Amino acid sequence: MTDRTNIKVRDTVRLFILIYWTFFWLLNVIDKIIGGAHLLFVGRDRFAQVERFFDSIGLDEPIYANLTLILTAGLEAFALVFFLGALYFFITKSRELARSWFLYGIGFTLTTFTFFSIGDQVFGDHFELLEHGLFWFIALLSWMTFAHLDHISFPILSRVGAKYRNAFLSFTSLLVFATSASIYYHNHTSFVERNQAVSATQITENTYKMQFPFLAGSTAFEKSLEKFLGEHPRLQVDNIYTAPNSLRLGKSDGLIIYIQTAVKQ
Amino acid sequence: MKESKLIRFFILIHWVFFAGTTVLDKLIPDVYPLWVGADFYTLFVKLFASLGIKDPIFATTALAGVSIIEVVGFVCYLFAAVLLIKQKNKSADRWFSRGILLSLLLFSLFSIGDQVFGDRFTLLEHGIFWCILLISWIVFLYYGTAKSKVIKVSGSKSLRTAILAGITITIITSVSILRFSEDTWSQKLTPVSAEKISENLYKFDFPFLGDKYTLENTVKAFKKNHPELKVNYIYTGPNELNTKKKTHMLLYIFTKEVVEL
Repeated sequence: MTDRTNIKVRDTVRLFILIYWTFFWLLNVIDKIIGGAHLLFVGRDRFAQVERFFDSIGLDEPIYANLTLILTAGLEAFALVFFLGALYFFITKSRELARSWFLYGIGFTLTTFTFFSIGDQVFGDHFELLEHGLFWFIALLSWMTFAHLDHISFPILSRVGAKYRNAFLSFTSLLVFATSASIYYHNHTSFVERNQAVSATQITENTYKMQFPFLAGSTAFEKSLEKFLGEHPRLQVDNIYTAPNSLRLGKSDGLIIYIQTAVKQ
Repeated sequence: MKESKLIRFFILIHWVFFAGTTVLDKLIPDVYPLWVGADFYTLFVKLFASLGIKDPIFATTALAGVSIIEVVGFVCYLFAAVLLIKQKNKSADRWFSRGILLSLLLFSLFSIGDQVFGDRFTLLEHGIFWCILLISWIVFLYYGTAKSKVIKVSGSKSLRTAILAGITITIITSVSILRFSEDTWSQKLTPVSAEKISENLYKFDFPFLGDKYTLENTVKAFKKNHPELKVNYIYTGPNELNTKKKTHMLLYIFTKEVVEL
């Protein structure tokens, strides 16, 4: 591979890394600015999450969650600005500056995730600790890749013989057509399940089973109960038992509930 | 400042705090004001009980053994950090390596335990941390010997613009956070409104801030607003019904008419 092509591929990889981190922090900042679920943006209610964490350690005033979120927002904002700067310098071919600005961005990223990891230990959330530890690691690896990519020689990606090209195009076109057709057909036949009521199966005299498809949401659940109560006007629901995952058949079962009924007095 | 120094500093700080908070978690074994942590004692007792070893002395001894390794590892990281600040790089490398080796040993022991106790998720968690430790160590040592570039930040104009932009974004975000907090804080204690689904069936869509007090207030308010009804049964909507991620919790209340005698 020629040096020129190698440089092009390395630049593309670096550009991807820069774009990834810029968007990562841009969306995190937007999530904080928007706050709450809105049309076209659900995001994460960080205020509720952090407030509950502080409440769990006895600090139930919202000021603690607010201050923590503001500090986090500051770290994220500066990470975003430095990644944006790095992207600008990279596009304008100021490679040395792009590298330094990227390192500052990585520095803010590593600090943010270290800060989060301390919080996870204090609040006892080991799943989040793993998540933040992984992001810290990804940031470190991103820097290593960005900074030391020059040691790697890439294969030429654009050179493909006519025989392989034709075989590749035919095979992928066939697979793309088959998978797309399958997806659209599934949508055509199954989307109705999202809100459709399901029927109850009687298991014992007072027990009924409802087995929901994967697409079913709260509307399907409510419609099903409404249908059940309409079909059995003399019965009242005394108890609903949700079958735990361990009773479901692998991943093939969706939500299963058992309704315990009694005759209305 | 050189790139290598900054990266080594970030790696060391992370592991100092990681090991430090882990040791603190063992020192504070229960839930206290300002600290929740993880209840490793209960976890160990349950894990050993699952093997048929019900005497707590075994779980306690195993936990004490783990905490000894964690304490020694933390001290190694702390020494490495102090030595790095004092620019004694070779000594810092040695202490950091000792800390990492102890942490690797610890996560290897954890992984063996996870296999014995059949906990596959924790095995994944410990495997990932083991890998992160190993790579951190290699990167730390690499930057101790490799030729490193000096960090260049362009003329003061670009840096000033960046700082100004960072402060502006922080202010905008902070205003938004404070406004959101003010708007939603009341949800914590405000009862959730009931939505009638059918005869004797009501739905409650709990916000993310909702907790046990919100639930209690909601039930109280519902009973006050519907004196003619008796709560027969409360059902918590499972996660499968809550697919939009917009709602924290769905709650259904089944009622029946109060029969006056």
